[in-house]
Amino acid sequence: MKQMPQVCREIQEDLVAAAVQEAGARARARVQDHVARCAPCRGEFDRYRVLDETVGTLKREPAPAVETAARAELQLRLVDLRRRLLTYGVFDSPLGRILIGRTEQGVSLVRYLGRGGVPRLPGLEAVADGAEIERLYWELLEYLRGRRTRLEWPLDLCLARSDFHRTVLELTARIPYGAVTSYANVARELGRPAAVRAVAQALRTNPVPIAIPCHRVVGADGGLTGYAGKRIGLKQRLLAVEGVQTMRQPGDFRVVREAMYVRDREDVEYCLPTCGVLPRRSLAELTLFASRERAEACGLHPCTSCRPDLHPLPR
Amino acid sequence: MSDDRFDGLVAAHHGEIYRYLLRVTGRVSDADDLSQETFLRAFKALGSLPPEANARAWLFAIATNLGRNHFRSETRRRRAYAGVRAEDRAGGNPGPEAETLFHEARDRVEAAVARLPLKQRMAFTLRKLHDLDYDAIGRMLRCSAESARAHVFQAFRKIRQTLDQSEMPRMEARR
Repeated sequence: MKQMPQVCREIQEDLVAAAVQEAGARARARVQDHVARCAPCRGEFDRYRVLDETVGTLKREPAPAVETAARAELQLRLVDLRRRLLTYGVFDSPLGRILIGRTEQGVSLVRYLGRGGVPRLPGLEAVADGAEIERLYWELLEYLRGRRTRLEWPLDLCLARSDFHRTVLELTARIPYGAVTSYANVARELGRPAAVRAVAQALRTNPVPIAIPCHRVVGADGGLTGYAGKRIGLKQRLLAVEGVQTMRQPGDFRVVREAMYVRDREDVEYCLPTCGVLPRRSLAELTLFASRERAEACGLHPCTSCRPDLHPLPR
Repeated sequence: MSDDRFDGLVAAHHGEIYRYLLRVTGRVSDADDLSQETFLRAFKALGSLPPEANARAWLFAIATNLGRNHFRSETRRRRAYAGVRAEDRAGGNPGPEAETLFHEARDRVEAAVARLPLKQRMAFTLRKLHDLDYDAIGRMLRCSAESARAHVFQAFRKIRQTLDQSEMPRMEARR
């Protein structure tokens, strides 16, 4: 090699390229021309060609058996990952930056982000996937603009902290649009009237606010009490979307009971807020409705003594 | 996320990604782990892959990245065992079993590929065994297409040298 002539040295790179089928037409022609005249380079060319052919046989090798086993294992891990995967998008909304996330089973996270980032979610793998979630976002926007009264999302309450919380959330999901009830009433309906604080705690950690309308649950005195930390203003705005009037009092917002129709426990009728002893009762057993339409949409009839149908509240 | 699209990717490319990683790492257990990781990552990132993108090249890029990271930690591990390995090599001639094992030209080439430096091994395998183009290989190896090509040629020369040193029986060219 040391005594290789200049011309051979110069063509070495093209020679290897031509032998392993990586050379262009001109280089190939030059190499062919050279090796026809130069025996050592022809030998070199041949060895690289053999090498390239051998490499070609590696490509055609049958799949090793271990590959099949690895693929079966991968399929198992994919099943597990699909179960744990939370795809999410972060969007601007009238209520600020909001995160919407869903698992394979359904929407499992709605989070007001404020200035914060994506929260840590034990047991889940969070993956940004704007396109998938965007449809949910548009539905949410329609809801916040009052153009839609239901978010018909499949829900996955995998982030609920306990079975009790899950039960509270499922019950809260049934509170109709435009209605307001109290933590005490939810506890009563659960059959655990003393568990008012536990109900409030379950709703404070609601993983899917708006989708599960915990904003429709207030204190027994009508005070909005709390929402997503200290974001009472958001609760007030969400209620306003549904036509529920609130007024600001020192330190708190309060629903305006006098402007709402009332249902007593599981009664099939709805009343004016002035009917009988209703004005003196706490919200612990009552549900309020922003309008007659909202009450009647739940299948309730006007009370036959106070006749809200004949004397509707002023709008 | 379209599960069908992803299942299609697994069906079409798992085999070649696995074989690529087996050559890159040289160990079944590592190829198992890294190929799984490649597809799990791909599954999580599929939403961000444009529909018109070359999914195959994308999978190879993920696999290459994982392979590189794997060797970063592997290098540290190997250094710890370097002394032991040197003793192994000093152990004398390979036994008759080894002779039998490597008697075929193909096995010799495979062994020579396994001894290439990582970047050359990756470039060589991606180009010659998986037919990826140099632009894509360059992006995967974070170098230019020209450098990727140079890695492949260096790999050829090194394989050739290794084969010469091992005094393989003369192979006749089929012309």
